[in-house]
Amino acid sequence: MKISRPISVIGLGNILMRDEGVGVHVIRAFQERYDTPDGVEIVDGGTAGFDLLPLIEGRDKVLLVDAVNFGREPGAIDVLVNDEIPARFSTKASLHHLGLMDILSITKLAGSAPGELCLVGIQPKALEVGLDMTPEICDKVQTLVERVATRLQDWNVQCVLRSPQKSSR
Amino acid sequence: MAKRIVIDPITRIEGHLRIECEVEGGKVVNAWSSGQMWRGIENILIGRDPRDAWIYTQRFCGVCTTVHALASVRAVENALNLEVPLNAQYIRNMIIAAHGVHDHMVHFYHLSALDWVDIVSSLKADPKKASQIGESLSTWKLNSPQVMKETQDRLKAFVASGQLGVFANGYWGHPAMKLSPEVNLLAAAHYLQALEYQRKANMIVSILGSKTPHIQNLAVGGVANAINPDSQSTLNVERLYYIKTLIDEVGDFVKNVYLVDVAAVGAFYADWTRYGSGVTNYLSVPDMPLDTKGTSFELPGGYIENGEVGTFKPIRSYQDEFFRNGVKESVKHSWYKGSWARHPWEETTDPNYTKWSDDGKYSWVKSPTFNGKPAQVGPLANVLCMYAAGHASTKKYADQTLATVGKLAGAKVGIGALHSTIGRHAARAIRCAVLYDTLQNQWQLLVNNIGKGDVKTFNQPVFPSGEIKGFGFHEAPRGTLSHWVVINGGKIKNYQAVVPSTWNAGPRNQNDAKGPYEASLVGNPVANTEKPLEVVRTVHSFDPCLACAIHMVDAKGNEIVKVKAL
Repeated sequence: MKISRPISVIGLGNILMRDEGVGVHVIRAFQERYDTPDGVEIVDGGTAGFDLLPLIEGRDKVLLVDAVNFGREPGAIDVLVNDEIPARFSTKASLHHLGLMDILSITKLAGSAPGELCLVGIQPKALEVGLDMTPEICDKVQTLVERVATRLQDWNVQCVLRSPQKSSR
Repeated sequence: MAKRIVIDPITRIEGHLRIECEVEGGKVVNAWSSGQMWRGIENILIGRDPRDAWIYTQRFCGVCTTVHALASVRAVENALNLEVPLNAQYIRNMIIAAHGVHDHMVHFYHLSALDWVDIVSSLKADPKKASQIGESLSTWKLNSPQVMKETQDRLKAFVASGQLGVFANGYWGHPAMKLSPEVNLLAAAHYLQALEYQRKANMIVSILGSKTPHIQNLAVGGVANAINPDSQSTLNVERLYYIKTLIDEVGDFVKNVYLVDVAAVGAFYADWTRYGSGVTNYLSVPDMPLDTKGTSFELPGGYIENGEVGTFKPIRSYQDEFFRNGVKESVKHSWYKGSWARHPWEETTDPNYTKWSDDGKYSWVKSPTFNGKPAQVGPLANVLCMYAAGHASTKKYADQTLATVGKLAGAKVGIGALHSTIGRHAARAIRCAVLYDTLQNQWQLLVNNIGKGDVKTFNQPVFPSGEIKGFGFHEAPRGTLSHWVVINGGKIKNYQAVVPSTWNAGPRNQNDAKGPYEASLVGNPVANTEKPLEVVRTVHSFDPCLACAIHMVDAKGNEIVKVKAL
């Protein structure tokens, strides 16, 4: 199957568990702020495991946004690429990482691994049940949105600021 | 002296599901199943608008999102006594069927086949012989020597790369691996091919649900899909026929590959029909409603006691009292306040973590019972109940699969063989074929109904001022799922989800009877306590998914032998 959208941007996490859902919140904020060209698919991936396979296999590039346990202070942001990612995910950070590792291994076995993989991660503060993020992590959402935009621009993807009329609700 | 083994994690997800077994004389003599994370996510729903509940419930679990959305709208509709337009039923049914087909394929090939299939062994296979075996078993187009050779080359390159990822901890070379190199190669080829077909099945869910993961098209009272045969922006003739194309492409794989592979694995591992039965009270619910009220269903459901198909008692409708009154959950052995067994409408979810106690509390999972007894849920329960109800396509695929196993094993194999570890895999494949036929039927029903000029998809819900209660059930890929809601003045007052993995992975109940995982492990052989592949096989045969049964990372135990399972 030919993939008409070679780049996926996937926000991961469970929005019912406070900072766990930061990846999903960042993706939503990104979509409010920027327009991207047709070749880019931006998805709220939730905590899904296998359902993400079509968004990963055969893609040129995949950008993930997620809460990651870096063992640092809450709100610390880091960007990992390619083989740095499985090493980080194989230690327990979040439940859904292992589903993602399954998918990446399967795409390698099947010869359809994405060309380039990038993870924009942030150290969460609270992972208990609740819909709101902690203020520390909430404050970082715009920073993360800009990190996503920067990385996409590095990949020659134009992120165009949406007009205020469009982005205001 | 019994040796204690601890398997944690068993689903590759740390701190998730933990199995402890006592092994004596090469056999499991006692077992405990423990959810290692706190569940309490339902509390988030209290005080909310019942029309929004499904949006939250489908985030309960990362693996099976759709099923919780569906059970939730059904629970609220049940409380309101709200009918659902036929088109909405058919569209929901197609989503259920396509999701189930996808899920069963993924479970067998991608999440559990490697318990039985040794990838490294397949590197030694003769591709021509592998092809001959494949072609002797089915008419599938992709069993040629060339396909086998290509698969083997790909596997060689993968193994040589050293980047094995999640496969690195596999049980390759374990003495309990019994397939010949050629059969291993054949299975590995189908593992790769299954990726393509599970994707097609899931695409049907995406088109009808507007999005996966997390479908967007549900509503209390129907679906949000607008139907207009001639409009580009709605569910129109073109899209319906594209869906039909996808359905047709998946069928050949389900019937000529998945069903055949399961029969072959069953025949080569025939001794596994003797292990893993455990709890043989089976519960399943009817699904695929064919009318607006939910009193007639394409797939029957009900209850079987003690494995005797003759005891089958059907569950007949969304108002069924036998089901409504039969379900309870106990916290006697779970880390919650109290020691009660209550009906879901009366439950609370107040955590009370204490240390592990073999005879006391040792799990975050509650222990559900049906009329006071533990019950196994899942495809095996579903297939046995549908078989008992005389459901035609279930009988057809069950008899056909058992005949294939019998032919390969050189012995007569009856339905009794299904009460086992390998039987659960066979039942899942049989159910997949049944769901596939249902998907075809529901597509036709939808097209016919639209053809009559009916385009209605939604009935407006209206909430009364007082208190109402409802329950919604769904026969999900992992078994019977029910959501229970109490609504007061249009706001949620209480909410409980009794999920399939809670039925199966639950700890001992109010009467100290073991849950299905626990009971199924007793008597299971274990050749090597350091590598308890046999225990993993039995637990994996249930398709464990505790992401929704429990939540939140917690609790460290003191292990005696700690094994990480793949």
